[in-house]
Amino acid sequence: MKDTPLSNCERDFLLKAIEEKKRLDGRQTYDYRKIKITFGTDYGCCFVDLGKTRVMAQVSCELVAPKENRPNEGVMFFNIELSPMASPAFEQGRQSELSVKLNRQLERCFRNSKCIDTESLCVVSGEKVWQIRVDVHMLNHDGNLMDAASVAAITALCHFRRPDVGIQGDEVTVYSPEERDPIPLSVYHMPISVSFSFFQQGTYLLVDPCEREERVMDGLLMIAMNKHREICSIQSSGGIMLLKEQVMRCSKIASVKVSEITALISKALENDKKARKEGGKFGFAESMPQERITALKKDETSVEMSDVSEKADEIIQKAEVPHQTVPSPVVPVAGVGQIGEDLQHTWGLDDEDDDEEEEHKEDSDEEQDEKNMDVEHEKEIRGCVVEISDSEEEEVIILQAEKPGKTPIKTGSDSHQKGAAAASRKRPNK
Amino acid sequence: MEVCRSSAVSLREFGCEQSLLSRPDGSASFVQGDTSVLAGVYGPAEVKVSKEIYDRATVEVLIQPKVGLPSVRERSQEQCVRETCEASLLLSLHPRSSLTLVLQVLHDDGSLLSCSLNSACMALMDAGLPMSCLFCGVTCAIDYDGKIITDPSAAQEKGSRALMTFAIDSTERRVLMSSTKGSFSVHELQQCIAVSQKASEKIFQFYRDSISRRYSKNL
Amino acid sequence: MAGLELLSDQGYRLDGRKASELRKVQARMGVFAQADGSAYLEQGNTKALAVVYGPHEIRGSRSRALHDRAVINCQYSMATFSTAERKRRPHGDRKSTEMSLHLKQTFEAAVMTQLFPRSQIDIYVKILQSDGGNYSVCVNAATLAVIDAGIPMRDYVCACTVGFVDETPLADLCYAEESGRVSSLALALLPRGGQIALLQMDARLHQDHLETLIEAAMTACKGVSKVLDEVVRQHLQEASVLTGE
Repeated sequence: MKDTPLSNCERDFLLKAIEEKKRLDGRQTYDYRKIKITFGTDYGCCFVDLGKTRVMAQVSCELVAPKENRPNEGVMFFNIELSPMASPAFEQGRQSELSVKLNRQLERCFRNSKCIDTESLCVVSGEKVWQIRVDVHMLNHDGNLMDAASVAAITALCHFRRPDVGIQGDEVTVYSPEERDPIPLSVYHMPISVSFSFFQQGTYLLVDPCEREERVMDGLLMIAMNKHREICSIQSSGGIMLLKEQVMRCSKIASVKVSEITALISKALENDKKARKEGGKFGFAESMPQERITALKKDETSVEMSDVSEKADEIIQKAEVPHQTVPSPVVPVAGVGQIGEDLQHTWGLDDEDDDEEEEHKEDSDEEQDEKNMDVEHEKEIRGCVVEISDSEEEEVIILQAEKPGKTPIKTGSDSHQKGAAAASRKRPNK
Repeated sequence: MEVCRSSAVSLREFGCEQSLLSRPDGSASFVQGDTSVLAGVYGPAEVKVSKEIYDRATVEVLIQPKVGLPSVRERSQEQCVRETCEASLLLSLHPRSSLTLVLQVLHDDGSLLSCSLNSACMALMDAGLPMSCLFCGVTCAIDYDGKIITDPSAAQEKGSRALMTFAIDSTERRVLMSSTKGSFSVHELQQCIAVSQKASEKIFQFYRDSISRRYSKNL
Repeated sequence: MAGLELLSDQGYRLDGRKASELRKVQARMGVFAQADGSAYLEQGNTKALAVVYGPHEIRGSRSRALHDRAVINCQYSMATFSTAERKRRPHGDRKSTEMSLHLKQTFEAAVMTQLFPRSQIDIYVKILQSDGGNYSVCVNAATLAVIDAGIPMRDYVCACTVGFVDETPLADLCYAEESGRVSSLALALLPRGGQIALLQMDARLHQDHLETLIEAAMTACKGVSKVLDEVVRQHLQEASVLTGE
């Protein structure tokens, strides 16, 4: 699927509006869109809405062997999935430039800045450590995926609880959540990324571009900071030329925004913790807004099944009785399978049909004999048991037209190439 | 095996929200108990020449799991959903186009395939694609005592002997697709189908209620 | 690697340099006869080879052609023998793809692509020995190669990696310093106008130190540009002597 291209008049309109300091949704130059954070049912799952951009992050963990050069540290793995749902331009499975860029930026933002204490993830030094995997799925692309992804990732990491581990001598026991309470990860600081977009060769600057603004921008500057005013990562992209003063100004704006967003995240985490402690319902199901006209919820309902059994009996009686035995089953010898066009498939033993098909494909001489054979088959229910084997000692023998009752055809393993007729009847073992 | 006739079988509470994403042409999120699936539909849109069919639309279904990359299990579920959609959509109205349905698993607590089918149907309705009938998914599990449980949770699925999902159409309550796992007798199968047909009534009523609620301001 | 002092009390670094001193730069242009432009650059122990083909007609899909500009296609790869442990995947992994994208971005800003609509310029860079500052060395080598190919640029593109240790910025980091969890900043600069083509920073750095660090990086880049200028003039002189002018 291709994305709809941007027309020239839209482009001119957007650029002209930016020159006059007006944005499509009425924001100011340094304003962020509304951020909404909700959590899922299990620990480590969170949804972030940045305006209309929607992102989901899920944290999971498993025990793996550590890297050779760092035997005492756990492993962090980040993965951003650009789901085709988010935009028609995203294709499944292709590593596009944007995907590589976002993945690398997220990795550098979190991994290099050591926001999680990886040494506490070590279980047995050199043998078993926890691997924390963060999967971020883009659900709706309305601009500024990087910021939404970073907020979602850090919130999910703060929300996640890993299973408790007990070590007795050489044995390692992983306790399930019912046995022992899971432990949260130790997060040192929360890096949040802020994106600035530049227009008209760096003359105009906007914070948090929406999708339309992203299409007409010249370049993007991403600054990741935490609330202690430490810069975790800076990355400029796109073919823009920056001046030092612009970079300094952006970093000042970023520090203000980051402290606001961090406060928001902490509040959301607090609310969720409270809700879980009180035992109330939580999760995505609860966060669905009830007062919207596009949403509806229904409570648990019971299904009547009083006449179900009778109905079932009725249907079965009307149906045909299946054959109890198969007249001439085709049985492969132990260790042999067969598959191919016009051959007898030995995966599912649909023997009856195959037998009949088989017979139709034989030489035309046989056609009269087929009817005889059918009759014969019905008479002898325990007819020839046909065995298929790939033993190469047997040679191929053509059908004998004069002997309808017994059809001594053997097949060697090269019957596969012969295709239709030759398939698979073998004289029963002497 | 006989089924306890007096057992009351129930569906978990379900909820749905439509048009929650701005980019896809139609989107819906369907929640059954704790299982929730988000569906987005794009279409009719341009199709690659290698995939185009001269007289029909090409339906593509993608299921994204929550953790990790899609594997063979997702492929088989995609096949089930795709066949159901192809049976109920009027594809010949949009030749040489593509209809892409993307499903994202938000939380899996049992009955995942039927939740995917339900959210797919609501998303297709939201996108306004012409369909000959609506469809819904119902999952039945048979536990070791022979009891039938509809809409099982993950714990119930684990402790069951057989698990079946049926896609039922809205016009004649017939089975569009069935996907089963485990061992069961013919009688049990027919009973489960009958139960699913009964349960589907509730789901179709829910579809009707949510659509009439949505358009209540317009009509 | 605890205990390695990156900056001693007297102000000397691991390899004996002072804080703002660059490594020795040696470069040669025109190393390949068949390429349109090529250059080999050594900065300390990091060695890079850059080759430029173009501008030529767009290869492959015509749809990528831009009607008013040239398309710049960069590929960055590391030789398998360039690092201490043999590198198993020299190109195609995420880091190399990211580097290629950064190089492309840097040169799109500097090369005057409007002069060559509907064409393509290929820049291939290979790291033969990696001892820190990979990106910067690549950019410097590629600049020389582009000049050797005769493609017009706005200005030299010079890059340098600086780190921050003990309140002092260290210019031109080597591998030991980079891996010691030092906040490092890679900067690609067009020295005459002081314009930054690419800015990349990892690891934690307090906001107040950012200005000093960028200043140090810009000074270092200006130093590099002087060296590159020298190399270009010398190469031209040699070439003119050979052609007998």
